[in-house]
Amino acid sequence: MVNAVHHVEVSIVILIVGSLVSLLFARRRKLCGWVSFAFVCASSVYTGLAVAGACTVASGEHSILSLPQLGSSLTLRIDPLSAIFLAIVAVIALLSTLYSVRYMEHYAHDKVAKFFPILLLCVASMTGVLVCTDFLFFLIFWESMTLTSYFLVTFESENAASQRAGLKYFIITHGATLCMAAAALLLWRTSGSFSFDAIRQTLSAMLTARPFLANAIIFLFFLGFATKAGLLPMGDWLPDAHPVAPSGMSATLSGALVKLGIYGLIRLFCSFLVVSPSLKIWGIILALAGTGSLFVGTLTALRQTDTKRLMAFHTIGQIGYICLGLGVGVYCLDMYPALATIALAGAILHAVNHACFKSCLFLGAGSVLYRTGERDMDKLGGLAAFMPYTTGTTTIASLSIAGVPPLNGFTSKWLIVAGCLLTGMRFPLFLVLGLIALFISLATLASFLKVLGSVFLGRADENLGIKEVPISMIVPQVVLAALCVLLGIFPQLVLRFVGHAIEGVTAMPVAGVNASRMWGGLFLIDGSPVAFWSPLAILTVLAVLALLSYAIQRAGGARTRSVPVWYCGEEHAAATVRYPASSFYLPFKHAFQGIYPSGKVHVPKFPAPLRRALDFDQWLYRPTVKVIDTAADRISRTHVGILQIYLLWIVIGAIVVTGILLWVRG
Amino acid sequence: MITPVAVLMLILPAVGALLSVVLKRRARPAAVMTATITTGLAVWLTLSTFGAPYTRMLGDLPWLHGIVDTPILGIFVDPLASLMLLVVVPIGLLTVLYSTAYLTDKNREHPVGSEHYGRYYFWLLLFITSMVGMAVSPNFLQFFAFWELTTLCSWALISFHQNERSLRAGFKALLMTSAGSAFFLLAILIIFVRTNSFDFSALSKLPDGLRSWVFLFFLIAAWAKAAQVPLQTWLPDAMEAPTPISAYLHAAAMVKAGVYLMARTVSSGWGIPPKISLLMGGMALLTIFVALSFYFVQDDLKRLLAYSTIAHLGYVLLGIAIGGLGATLGFRGGVLHIICHGYSKATLFFCAGNIAYVTGTRNISELRGLGRSMPLTATAFFIGLLSVTGVPPFACFWSKFMILSGAMRLGGPIGPLILVLILSETLISFGWMLYVGQKIFLGAPLATAQVPSDIPWAMNVTLIILMIGCVAAPLVGMPLVQLMGK
Amino acid sequence: MTVWLIKSLLLCLLNVAAALFLSPLCEGIMRKLRAAIHSRIGPPIWQPYWDLLKLLGKEDLRSTGGIVYASLPAFTLGSALLLAALIPMGTAAPLAFAGDMIVVIYVAAMSGVLLMLSGFASASPYASIGSSREMMMLLSVEPILAIALSVGAFKAKTLAVGGMVNWQVQNGPCISMAIAGVAFFLALQAVAGKLPFDIAEADQEIMGGPLVEQSGPRLALFRWAMWVKQLVLAFLLVEVFFPWPHLGSYLIDLIATIVKVLIVLVLVAVIDAVNPRLRIDQALGYYMRVAFSSLAALAFAVIGK
Repeated sequence: MVNAVHHVEVSIVILIVGSLVSLLFARRRKLCGWVSFAFVCASSVYTGLAVAGACTVASGEHSILSLPQLGSSLTLRIDPLSAIFLAIVAVIALLSTLYSVRYMEHYAHDKVAKFFPILLLCVASMTGVLVCTDFLFFLIFWESMTLTSYFLVTFESENAASQRAGLKYFIITHGATLCMAAAALLLWRTSGSFSFDAIRQTLSAMLTARPFLANAIIFLFFLGFATKAGLLPMGDWLPDAHPVAPSGMSATLSGALVKLGIYGLIRLFCSFLVVSPSLKIWGIILALAGTGSLFVGTLTALRQTDTKRLMAFHTIGQIGYICLGLGVGVYCLDMYPALATIALAGAILHAVNHACFKSCLFLGAGSVLYRTGERDMDKLGGLAAFMPYTTGTTTIASLSIAGVPPLNGFTSKWLIVAGCLLTGMRFPLFLVLGLIALFISLATLASFLKVLGSVFLGRADENLGIKEVPISMIVPQVVLAALCVLLGIFPQLVLRFVGHAIEGVTAMPVAGVNASRMWGGLFLIDGSPVAFWSPLAILTVLAVLALLSYAIQRAGGARTRSVPVWYCGEEHAAATVRYPASSFYLPFKHAFQGIYPSGKVHVPKFPAPLRRALDFDQWLYRPTVKVIDTAADRISRTHVGILQIYLLWIVIGAIVVTGILLWVRG
Repeated sequence: MITPVAVLMLILPAVGALLSVVLKRRARPAAVMTATITTGLAVWLTLSTFGAPYTRMLGDLPWLHGIVDTPILGIFVDPLASLMLLVVVPIGLLTVLYSTAYLTDKNREHPVGSEHYGRYYFWLLLFITSMVGMAVSPNFLQFFAFWELTTLCSWALISFHQNERSLRAGFKALLMTSAGSAFFLLAILIIFVRTNSFDFSALSKLPDGLRSWVFLFFLIAAWAKAAQVPLQTWLPDAMEAPTPISAYLHAAAMVKAGVYLMARTVSSGWGIPPKISLLMGGMALLTIFVALSFYFVQDDLKRLLAYSTIAHLGYVLLGIAIGGLGATLGFRGGVLHIICHGYSKATLFFCAGNIAYVTGTRNISELRGLGRSMPLTATAFFIGLLSVTGVPPFACFWSKFMILSGAMRLGGPIGPLILVLILSETLISFGWMLYVGQKIFLGAPLATAQVPSDIPWAMNVTLIILMIGCVAAPLVGMPLVQLMGK
Repeated sequence: MTVWLIKSLLLCLLNVAAALFLSPLCEGIMRKLRAAIHSRIGPPIWQPYWDLLKLLGKEDLRSTGGIVYASLPAFTLGSALLLAALIPMGTAAPLAFAGDMIVVIYVAAMSGVLLMLSGFASASPYASIGSSREMMMLLSVEPILAIALSVGAFKAKTLAVGGMVNWQVQNGPCISMAIAGVAFFLALQAVAGKLPFDIAEADQEIMGGPLVEQSGPRLALFRWAMWVKQLVLAFLLVEVFFPWPHLGSYLIDLIATIVKVLIVLVLVAVIDAVNPRLRIDQALGYYMRVAFSSLAALAFAVIGK
């Protein structure tokens, strides 16, 4: 099945060509967008073909370039795991590009020449990261992805906040990349090759022979991937970078780009490392890191009043969920393979789901920004009346991220939490982590109710001339919201491929999750069936019961009448008495103050004595020159104008030179 | 065929130099023409000798008859020389091209009247000649002759503006590099006295103890030329030179002569004693960090770039030292770094030139938000700085990575130690450079920086070519360095 | 298959009907009891039914338009009834195959979420304040439910609610489950929106909070949903944590369960009658302490008690 790889290559080439072509049209804002969209469409089709070809079995390898001296070659390969992430990248890239075509009108001062071409390159490098099987080239694609996204984050060149965020983003992630480079080089020292297969073999051999070094290498890899994924504290770049990027890019960042960190973590822990007891420690570390992120990230999100910053903190939180699932899975790989597959399936499924709902949320926030120019929730309100589609999609996505059944966020959270609780029955730590995850799911809900309540619901003063966004911006949001619903009701659609991915990566059958039934839904097996979730059945029953309730509501035949809001008899403008976002949950926010410390970075002061010591001119060369100068002055006094004395000098000089020559030759 | 081409390549810039003196105000076309042809010849020479080193001796010195029987002057083109040619000649052409637009009375930093053209292009083209001659030298004597010629040209070009500061800087550069040259001369004399030969291969005929000394002398010479600690102080001051000169002499060409000397001596026979290699590597690391420490206090953009150059020449020497210790990969990485860094740093210097040309200042604190009025310069600057700091997929990443790979080939704790040091330096310098780049090009434009931007096409073309170079340099360099080594 | 389907559908219907029609009665009993404690005569036990009937016929005044807003009450009651179908009420849970304890916890929160949404949507600042408080109460109460149920899950080694009940019946009482049951009971007070935790509605200060703009049939449905929820959760408490005496005779067990549920609700009513309302921060602090204490149940479960 070399075909699949060829499709991806074509897709990357299309994107690179598209980037250059769109640069030609950069002067015309919309045209440039549509041209880019056309190219992204074409590349997505090819990526889709590749995904279709490789979603059940891994494709063959295709080697493009070889550097025998470095033991490296640009070899591409798609396995079911990368196919899943490729699908995410393709879909999110397609939708955000479509969205950006009109959205970029928002930035009147900045040229689209620095957006669309770079966006296309960014997508190309993301695709490259996913199909590479050689760590040197993986790093190259990886860092291309970072640097292109850096330029997209700093797109708004007159906005000081975006510059700061971009700088922070690039420096932190570059540091992480260097960590990975160090790890790869340390491995290469033993293996002499950068290919994934070599890494796998060397790392497993090293774990028994030199466990300290091996674990240090794993830690460096973990640092690299976790930084990109946005795990706290390394993910500190994320809440700054996401809000300032253009919304299409925020969606891509959150939906696709940070997922590649997760992809890396899954590769590292499930595929690079052989199953061994030492994995358990790493599983616990991952789970704790994930729980820390989801706890701190989500509770900090609760305090935000900037829509996009709030969502960025939720990205940290949701990545925490994924990481928690991954950690539980890694912990169980050795002893409880069935439980491992449950948690891993939850993690991967949550990555897919998160791509859907978080991208939708960022696009929704972008639509609000596009029409109102405002990200501050305290200043927004009552947009539901003017922007029904955006309100609808954002509501669905909000409920989805909060895990309201039967939307898609619930299924994956259910898998992760069930994995935690079931593992917790053997190792109680995970029980606590699972409960924290459950609690934080509610906090997520609280946070998004705040968004819905303060931005969309309620009432605006009067018609401020706000309209629904253009259709090309609605479509991506609607598609994503529809995906949220569809994947929520039929998780089996994705779980099948997730199963293939897990089998491909861990070489274990997916024993813990049974997703074969349609109406019966999913059930988890730990010896016997222990957990159940049937979205279709629940949805049907809920629909029937809601209809029943509606019948009851209408039974009395009550008439409806529209009335103004009652302010206890006084008259107020809606905006003056609006309950502002910053007032939501105040006592609760007070209880969790200061869980996200922030500090300022200063340029290190160089100690003055050392600075003086390094100034060679001052204490070495100028004095030397001065000494020589004085000496020369003295010597010049030997110019007495008497021939005999000059002759004497010549004779002495000749003797000395001859002496030296004789000494050197003899 | 090769010999005439090589000789022509050597002579042509010299002819151009003489023409410049003759034509005075109309020197520019002649300079561009000769530089262009020279570039074509250099490329052709590289292609035709690829994989097959070429030596041809042409003449000798009459007063050495009886002592040295073989001819002394000649042509020697091997992959290392080819690589050096591909750095010095094309960037030389770009420098000439850039200068035609930069050195005019429209320059807001230093307006230059056309009466100075003759002098300027004479020294510049003479410098190209001397670099070419040095690159194709078959032995130490010829090497030394052209080496001194570069020093001379450098002195003249640094002092070009002939004001107090530039005269001082030029004299300082001359003094310090000459002090290094004295050691070079001493080393050559020792070799000649012991072996009756100036050949590179004569090095390996020396007894061990003496060879250490000779290598040490070469190393000191290289330190002086390449502005390494402790002899680094002339380079930042040399930034008084016109910016194209800084780009060419102090980033791409002259300072590379020092590291080229070390690459030459190390690769001819691989007889460098380990302790000298260790000294070279250790001093290189020291240089890298000393230079890094000066980044944070520079307000002058060119001085910042100069310190960065110092650090990167340290990288090259580090790679060569690693090669000397036995890991050929490190040597290859170091040599590859010559070409990668040459193109990347030249890009940055030319960008600094553009900025100075338009705004009349090089002070970082006075610049902000230039990206809007100078998009091409901004693009080039970012590509250059990402390349210089070793961000993949740009040029210097490859060479740095090869140096590190070479370091990892060394046994014991040296490899990981170098790895940690280099990566931390990379991160810090990357962060600072990016910060500076952002400060200059992004953000809201300052009033002083809001200037009508009509950058002459010649300057833009230069930048575009160099941007391509920032990506493509490893593609050219990699096949060449693969041919080097034991 | 068909038999199984009909059986579960019937059971579903039974549970839903029971929840729907018994819950106003329970509320009536609780009101009567409160009146008794206050030395009042109080309304008749059937009063909640009359209230509902009357509200269903009253005019429906809406401060906000839109189809979503219009459908919120139906979904609120629907989700409360769905909860009834997910838990055992005297018999096995009819929809056990479709949802385990995690689903139950999420569905239990659902009606509250929909209520809050309609509060925010109604554009009244009082409703927003009430909804915000409601959310905080949910945040502090749901973890306790989760901890309590997970103790059951830990003991029974299954996440299915039915499995926990079976385990309890077979193994008899234990310390951890008792602590968890008490914690669950304390949480129930807030879930039912009774004093001292009726902070979200707080008729005297914010006039019903999320419900301030609801009237007529909409108000009826919201009220009904809350009563259903309180009854259903009382059932869940009794079934999971106090299923004894389990005699095996279906009828007696059913009666016993109903009696126990009534006892639970009476206790709730008594607490309601004798307490003043707490401030929201006091309530948060209180439930945070309860949550941490309920972790003791988990600790006991881990050491096997």
